[in-house]
Amino acid sequence: MGFTQVHDYVAGKLDWLAAGGPIEGTGAAQPRAGGVARADVPTCALDERLGEVRERVKAAGWDACVVVNGERVVLGLLRAGELDGDPGSRIEQAMRPGPSTFRPHVPIAELAHFLVDHDVPNAPITTSDGRLVGLLLRDDALHAAHQAHQAEGEEP
Amino acid sequence: MTQAAPTAGCATCERAIDRCELCDRPDCPTAVCYRCLAVALRQATPQPHDHGG
Amino acid sequence: MPREIDREGVRRLVDQGAQLVEILPPDEYREEHLPGAINLPLRQLEERASEVLDRHRAVVVYCWDSA
Repeated sequence: MGFTQVHDYVAGKLDWLAAGGPIEGTGAAQPRAGGVARADVPTCALDERLGEVRERVKAAGWDACVVVNGERVVLGLLRAGELDGDPGSRIEQAMRPGPSTFRPHVPIAELAHFLVDHDVPNAPITTSDGRLVGLLLRDDALHAAHQAHQAEGEEP
Repeated sequence: MTQAAPTAGCATCERAIDRCELCDRPDCPTAVCYRCLAVALRQATPQPHDHGG
Repeated sequence: MPREIDREGVRRLVDQGAQLVEILPPDEYREEHLPGAINLPLRQLEERASEVLDRHRAVVVYCWDSA
C-alpha cells in the first residue's frame, strides 16, 4: 500500500463496544443493555449466609442479588427461588453459579426478545472481563425497547 | 430400566447441549447454545466472517 | 506487516492524528463505527487506500474482532 505506519487493532469493534467506547452510526442512539441495567442491584459475597443476604435484599426492595468477588466479577446469581433457600446455607452453595451474562453494548430490543422467549426475569450485564455493570430486568428491557420502537416510528 | 434425562439440542445449530444457555432449562423448546446466543446478541462473530468489498 | 495495538493504543494514536479505517462491509460500518473512522471494505483497501488516506499519517485498521 506504500504506507509505513499501519497498525492493526486486532481485538476490533467488538472489543471497543464491550468496553463501552463511544460510537457513531445509525445504531448509535439505540438503547443498549448497559444503559438500561440497574447498577444499584444488591450484591453479596460467596461466604455470606443466605438468611442475612435475603433480609438485606428485601429491605432494599429487590428480589434478586448478584454474587461478586472483591473486584466485582460476577460469580453467581440469586433469584427469588434461590433466595428462598435454607437461611443458614452459604451463598456459594445457594446461588445459581456462572449465570449467562451479556455485554453493555448489546441492543436492548434483541435482548428483550430473548428474555421474553425464554421467560428469564433478569440477566447480569458485565464488562468483557466479567465485572458487574448492573442487572437488566426484563420489564425494563421491554419498556426501553418499546420506547425506542415508538421513537423510530415518530421520526420524519 | 432408567430413562435418560431429556437433552436439548441447540435450536439454531443443532449442536448437542444438555440445557439452554439462556434459561438453564433442559427441556427448553427453543434451547440455544452459548455460541449461537453470543452471535445473536453480537457478542461474537459468526463463522465464516465476510469482510465485504 | 501492520503492528498490533490494543484499545489504549488506538486512543493514543487517534489523539496523535492517526486515521481510523473500518474494513467491514458498508452496512455494518453505517450501523456503528468508532468515532471518526472511515469505511474501506477489505477488498477495496489496496485499490483505494492511496486515494482516500493520507500517506504521511499513521493508519489504524480494524474489523469486528480477531476472527
